[in-house]
Amino acid sequence: MTTRKVRLGLGTLAVITASTVALLGAPATAVDRGGAADPELSRAAYAQIEGTGSTWSELIVQQWIADVDSNGMKVVYTGGGSSKGRKDFAQNSTDFAISEIPYQGVDEQGNADTSNGREYAYLPIVAGGTAFTYQLKIGDQLVRNLRLSGETITKIFTNQITNWNDPAIAADNNGRAFPSLPITPVVRSDGSGTTAQFTTWMDKEYPSLWRAFYGKAGLTSYYPREGRAVGQAGSDQVMNTIAGFAGNGTIGYVEYSYPVNKDYPVVKVLNKGGYFVEPTDYNVAVALTKAKINQDKSSPLYLTQILDEVYRHPDPRAYPISSYSYMVIPTGATDQRMTTAKRQTLADFMYYSLCAGQTKAGPYGYSPLPLNLVKAGFEQIAKLKTADPAVDLTDRDVTQCNNPTFDGKNLANNLLAETAPQPAACDKAGEGPCGTETGTNTPSTDDGSATPEVTVETPGAPTPGTDPGTGVPAPPDGGAPAVDPDTGEVVVAAGTTTGEQAPDFAAPTELASGRPVDTSTFGWVAALLLVALVLLPGVMVSSFRRRAKASPR
Amino acid sequence: MRPRKLSRRATGADAVFAHGARAVGASVLVITGGVGVFLAWQAYPTLQRYGWSFFTESAWEPDQDVIGIAAVLVGTISVALVAMFFAFPTSVLMALYISEYAPARIKSTLVSLIDLMAAVPSIVYGLWGFFLIMPHAAELALWLHKHLGWIPIFDVRGTDPDAATWDTTRYVASAFCAGIAVAMMVMPMACAVMRQVFSQTPPGEKEAALALGATRWGMITAVVLPFGRGGIIGGTMLGLGRALGETIAVVLIISPAFEIKPNILEVGTSTVSALIAGRFGEASPAQLSALLAAGFVLFMITLVINTLAAVIVNRSRSGEGVD
Repeated sequence: MTTRKVRLGLGTLAVITASTVALLGAPATAVDRGGAADPELSRAAYAQIEGTGSTWSELIVQQWIADVDSNGMKVVYTGGGSSKGRKDFAQNSTDFAISEIPYQGVDEQGNADTSNGREYAYLPIVAGGTAFTYQLKIGDQLVRNLRLSGETITKIFTNQITNWNDPAIAADNNGRAFPSLPITPVVRSDGSGTTAQFTTWMDKEYPSLWRAFYGKAGLTSYYPREGRAVGQAGSDQVMNTIAGFAGNGTIGYVEYSYPVNKDYPVVKVLNKGGYFVEPTDYNVAVALTKAKINQDKSSPLYLTQILDEVYRHPDPRAYPISSYSYMVIPTGATDQRMTTAKRQTLADFMYYSLCAGQTKAGPYGYSPLPLNLVKAGFEQIAKLKTADPAVDLTDRDVTQCNNPTFDGKNLANNLLAETAPQPAACDKAGEGPCGTETGTNTPSTDDGSATPEVTVETPGAPTPGTDPGTGVPAPPDGGAPAVDPDTGEVVVAAGTTTGEQAPDFAAPTELASGRPVDTSTFGWVAALLLVALVLLPGVMVSSFRRRAKASPR
Repeated sequence: MRPRKLSRRATGADAVFAHGARAVGASVLVITGGVGVFLAWQAYPTLQRYGWSFFTESAWEPDQDVIGIAAVLVGTISVALVAMFFAFPTSVLMALYISEYAPARIKSTLVSLIDLMAAVPSIVYGLWGFFLIMPHAAELALWLHKHLGWIPIFDVRGTDPDAATWDTTRYVASAFCAGIAVAMMVMPMACAVMRQVFSQTPPGEKEAALALGATRWGMITAVVLPFGRGGIIGGTMLGLGRALGETIAVVLIISPAFEIKPNILEVGTSTVSALIAGRFGEASPAQLSALLAAGFVLFMITLVINTLAAVIVNRSRSGEGVD
């Protein structure tokens, strides 16, 4: 992980700066590209392009923007939520939008959600997993290996499970109990594609729970905040709230890159293969092999996703809540905002993003696009040339991209998904839980070569063999952690568990010593000090004066 | 012999200047009036549709076709009152110190520092409030809840202040936290007005008080404060007007909740301007009208408060406060 220029902890500051730039940056006029035959990127005539939308994909997009900046491409992207992105695009106030969900026609609030007649195309830009990040402390130790099933997550976010000591949570963690602490879900208060992806998943997988809570069927971009839940605008504010000083007991949903960036744990979610997995680039890629992509080029929803199969992918490596994010690009020949220079900038920016930019997806907590989607993306970019023949798209070869999912021999293959390591045996439902940390962007696996720093129970344990029938790895013989048959707890036997994280298995009881010092006493002392600070100087001065008066000259 | 008639009508360059100045002066009225008319025009469909329930309904759920500003108005006022609770004493004392106590050489430094405070963008106050102040404000809130929880405004529902581990999430993102950040923004404004009025105290009366044997504090209570009473009230109300409309800092700090509640320490509140800022980006035309209707109400409230403040400040200039 090299330069992380984009730290969105101060995201709103960035918004202000970016919008100032957007205001000041004079829109460059269309310049006739002198060296049209010259494929050199830096020679192209560029104009600044501006876009708004998803905060789910904002971190990787900002990184791409920083990367192309040296080539003379000026791209300004501000988050604000997918709903805002789609609306700004429809109102002709941006050159592109990024959204997790397509235009809904009529949105869930009964209002028009269309492009307002502006011609557009969807362009998949990056894949990723919607992660559940949390702050939960036992004593003063942050729990970093929480596992939850989809049903438990849905119950938490629909206010049916309200305490961390709920038996359902303990059951997901193989009997490991957590302290009695109220759960505070942190949800998005703005119109968000992350919310839309999450509620789509709940609506498809746990309709009875979700619909009873929401009052109707279907997804929503506006989370119906109720009860203890806290609303925050933007993924970065959700992350800040969870990671903040008051975050103990909170859980929220953001793209995996946010917790990775902040070094915060994420929930391992139970998949249909019976394993608890983290949304690493591998697990997302495996899950998305089951994504149904609309391949009907005449459809307005061309290239958009249907994820039902992704949610139920039986592969033990699949992360259920995986999805793609889309850029909405203007394809109209008479589009009032677009010029040749802007189209060229957009085309070259997307060429970089879809090709070289995808190699950065994994390290940043996203997952690269497979070849078929990159290819389709290139075809969508070509629509910019259809709209304006002056746009130069020469020298674009998909197979030259250094994309980790590409398989040189079989274009339909997703190499990343094939090489994805099998989950560790302790990640299986009813086993473990693993002591390894989450949110580190490293896969939890027993395959030692893939993850040198992961502390699996017994280093050197044989790689689990895979049962070809089910795809479920057989537990490693002899290397597996001993589990007490009565309690289901991992038996921590001295000498065999050197790599294990003992503190996280501490008794989940509230201890008086665990809390800060007695604030009551110190509160009064502080108040007394304050009063003394204000009064003492005056009293002293007057007493000195009186003494001076009293003393004979 | 009748005296020569004198015309008071300005001629030549004078006339041009007089008319020009009058036109520019009038444009202020036109602009303010235009804002009001525009807001009223945009708000009309909403007010017509929801009628009186727009003011009594607390939920803001455009998808359920339920829209009302009762909760956001209460939130707006509670944030503003918390802000004034902190801003009022600090600005009065600050203004008194600068105009009466400060040595001449640090006076100008203090004045420019206060002006600098007013120039800091509100987003900076928002980040300052979110990252630096909120942790401490939460502890103060817990302390208030623990010891003064029997007063309804200091109650935090659904949590026990004496629990082994206190439920921090209930004490943050509240009107109290937002009010502290807003206080820092309105304080310089109120302070500037008060300082100006204090400095206009007739020196003769001050000297008379001192000559009659009053201490400096006695002189202040006997002369400066009565004379500046109008300025104190006016400055406070100007500050209040700004506190009502403060936006970005509030958006950053609060967790939006549409509920009428007096519990200022409890998580979740909403203000009119924060509501507009938060929902404007993705609003449909109907929602935009609803947001502008909320804005119209806020505009009217601030207009009334600022007008009152201006009247009071103007009165005090005549020295009516001193008998």
